[in-house]
Amino acid sequence: MLEIKDLHAGSEDTEIIKGISLTVNKGEIHAIMGPNGSGKSTLSKILAGHHEYEVSSGSVTYNGKNLLDLEPEERALEGIFLGFQYPVEIPGVNNAEFLRMAYNAKRLHKGEDEVDPLDFDEILDEKMKMVEMDHKYKARFLNEGFSGGEKKKNEILQMAILEPKLAVLDETDSGLDIDALRIVANGVNNLINENNALILITHYQRLLDYIKPDYVHVLSKGKIIKSGDKGLALELEAQGYDWLTTTTN
Amino acid sequence: MAGALTDEVKSAEGGFLQLHKDYLDANSLSNDLLEFNKAGIERFESLKFPHPKHEMFTFVNTREIASTEFALNPGGTCSADVVKNHVYACSEQSCLVLVDGVYQPELSDLSALAGKVELADFEKAFSDEKLKQSLVESLKKETDVFSALNAAFAKQGVFLKVLPKAQINKPIQVLLVSTGAEGKPAMSAPRFCVHIGKHAEVKIIVKTVGDGNSYFSNTVQDYFLDENSSVIFSQVQADSKESWNFSKTFVRLNQYSRFKSTHAMAGSKLTRNNYQTHLCEPGAELTMNGVSVLVDKEQVHQYIQVNHHAPNCISHQYFKNIVNDKSRASFDGTVVVDPGAQLTQSDQLINNLMLSDEAHADGKPNLMIYADDVKCAHGNTVGQIDDEQLFYLETRGLSASVAKTLLTTSFARSIIDTVEFPEVVEDLKSLLLSKLERNHA
Repeated sequence: MLEIKDLHAGSEDTEIIKGISLTVNKGEIHAIMGPNGSGKSTLSKILAGHHEYEVSSGSVTYNGKNLLDLEPEERALEGIFLGFQYPVEIPGVNNAEFLRMAYNAKRLHKGEDEVDPLDFDEILDEKMKMVEMDHKYKARFLNEGFSGGEKKKNEILQMAILEPKLAVLDETDSGLDIDALRIVANGVNNLINENNALILITHYQRLLDYIKPDYVHVLSKGKIIKSGDKGLALELEAQGYDWLTTTTN
Repeated sequence: MAGALTDEVKSAEGGFLQLHKDYLDANSLSNDLLEFNKAGIERFESLKFPHPKHEMFTFVNTREIASTEFALNPGGTCSADVVKNHVYACSEQSCLVLVDGVYQPELSDLSALAGKVELADFEKAFSDEKLKQSLVESLKKETDVFSALNAAFAKQGVFLKVLPKAQINKPIQVLLVSTGAEGKPAMSAPRFCVHIGKHAEVKIIVKTVGDGNSYFSNTVQDYFLDENSSVIFSQVQADSKESWNFSKTFVRLNQYSRFKSTHAMAGSKLTRNNYQTHLCEPGAELTMNGVSVLVDKEQVHQYIQVNHHAPNCISHQYFKNIVNDKSRASFDGTVVVDPGAQLTQSDQLINNLMLSDEAHADGKPNLMIYADDVKCAHGNTVGQIDDEQLFYLETRGLSASVAKTLLTTSFARSIIDTVEFPEVVEDLKSLLLSKLERNHA
């Protein structure tokens, strides 16, 4: 589904991603872990198409297409979803209206008719139930004044509505208390199946107690320095990142 | 250069003085009105046409007005269609129509206001010696030269008195129509005054529209709020793009009275509004929201003074401007808290959204506080579309142009949505928000 080959990228004159190769197949869950500043969030933004980052060499192929040729909205319409570490607040944009716009953009792209607000409301109610979100968040402005937990639930709500083929969740667990973490993780588990794939970016092993990865990769200084199964995450939890970064570099 | 400017100012003054002579020749005015008009032109002469560095016109370039020769507006009429198009459904039985400043009884409908208001034309109003004297006296203290110019040329405006304790549910709409003239652009001086009696509650919509191309409308409106009265006010500016629109709005609030307004501006070649508000007695509350959405070379300049004369009064100001292309917006606002106006609460916030490198937004928030136990805040921001917000929306499958439209309309909607009249909100969506859609297409 996704094939990253020797990717080098950065912002302005600074190279942040220094040769990453990664293959993600349908039905797989990959966890990317690593210390602060290792390039985890940058990688997620490059996959989503952030204009701030430039790819200097390497390739990213997604379902046979050159992903780097696509605009962010084309990537989204083709099924890539980025769950933000810090979802932005947009005052003045009604949350439910925004969600319907996103849902309809996807439907139009697939050649389906748009749904009207009433029909969408039913869809939204069902999805909100899954992430245990109060209905009052429909009428609120997008993420404005949401608590950290509600913002992350709203990200998973968007994922539920957009039904991506490849979801990249950037530190979805950060800033969550244990109840919110369980709810968010249950939401994600409900959404993944053999037809889609998930890249989980996280700093802590904690999330992986809830969402079981098939592969764990450790990113340091813009490179994957070790890959393994979920046992690697447990080792990291016990020994810290220093164990790897000092021995490998 | 300085000499050239001085000549220009002098010739502008001369032009308006000549126009006033023509006005006196063309109209047989009652002695009472003549006294008022003469007081106006005298004040105009002593204030003089603003030079480019005039403190009240810091951001407003009046050179084009100074160099244009205007004609007297004959006080034309407009078709019933214009009225039909611009009077909101909620105000069909409570609308006053003024064409080029002249009240048009046959186009107006006050049936829903029977027993709740009294309407007087200028002739009747000026026959009240006390009222006339107070108007002439206040002209001597007038600081806005365009307001003085209005007094010099005002001849057929209206005085509306809302009777004490009147509760008027249907909004009263004042529709100001400006028509152009053949040849030289025509100047009109619409003037109306609303006096709201004690404990009365009223909703007012003022809409200005053009039924012609090039004109100079120079309006004065006064609102006097008696004790414990309330006004919910909405101003909609939808003038012709080639027009000059100057206005002065005077608001006086007595004890526990409340004035809550929204000023929505679609802009024109040059639009300048001067709001002079006075919180005169304890417990008065003023809320002013405003939004301007400008494209091409449109300009809107807001000049606002909020004067806290008494303790325990509250004032809020929240203005937003969106400027695209080569448009210009400015906000020059001052809050003055008099000595003794303790426990004043006042805030003022201006947000500007710039959509083009050639657009221009100026802000000059001022606070002058002469009391020591007050809570006052002010702020002014200028920004562009936030890249992170844009990226966020794009990652949800919205195209860049849809996302930009969503972000800019949401910026304006936070003010538009405060308008209490659904018909006006709908009108503003097509008047203002459609300009934003056009610009990202």
